[in-house]
Amino acid sequence: MSADAKGLPDYRYKLGTLRLGLWLFLVSDSFLFAGLYITRWYLLGGHRPELNQTLGLTVTTVLLISSFFMNRAETSIAHGDRKSFLLSTAITLVLGLAFLAGVVGVEWRTAPFGPGDGPQGSVFYMLTGMHAFHVFSGVLFLLIILRNGARGLYSAEKHWAVEACANYWHFVDVVWIFYYPALYLIGVVVK
Amino acid sequence: MDNRKSAALRQGVFVFITLAVLTAAEYWIGVSTDMAALIFVLFLIKATLVINFYMHVSRLFSPEEGGH
Repeated sequence: MSADAKGLPDYRYKLGTLRLGLWLFLVSDSFLFAGLYITRWYLLGGHRPELNQTLGLTVTTVLLISSFFMNRAETSIAHGDRKSFLLSTAITLVLGLAFLAGVVGVEWRTAPFGPGDGPQGSVFYMLTGMHAFHVFSGVLFLLIILRNGARGLYSAEKHWAVEACANYWHFVDVVWIFYYPALYLIGVVVK
Repeated sequence: MDNRKSAALRQGVFVFITLAVLTAAEYWIGVSTDMAALIFVLFLIKATLVINFYMHVSRLFSPEEGGH
């Protein structure tokens, strides 16, 4: 029995604790997003900011596809397919950057209002800004697992970092699942 | 490719297609109709799918699972 295999029972015990810790973090982070979400309904009610619908749908689709590839990356390493893991992680990373470019690079520049233009400006830039910050930190995590994965640090038996990164990435996707309709689809446009 | 891996990948594809269809429905309802309540239902289903199948919340209660 190899030294790696001998340590597996201990690793599995730790894994349960690590998962609980990660979920506690995600739940606590969701309170921040929930607070901002409530702010949107309190300040704007049945109105929504005037935004580019095509761009909104595009960035949402990009994030959705990135979640698919993140899941593929995690599944691949869990079955020892390092090549597919690296490729899927790299695609997720690129899509994360594309999402950031769409929201911060395009939507922020083309929106017909600024952060200081009333409640819609405050709500829109705060919600998308906080979410984009999380996407950015997710991209950094992806870079870390991509680098470590390329050095062969993960295996089918031990890949907690990949699972943690994947869960964080999907959490960011779940937040956008709530934010996208609240900002783009529900309510009457504020003129 | 072993059966467990291909089954897991298939599940990922199925969830992705479902999410894409729900997003398209959400968009159509948002721009064409005034049924906000339906959009709420759709995004709650989407969030549940991601939390259950992509985030594997059930692993919290069974630490031996998950391929590690």
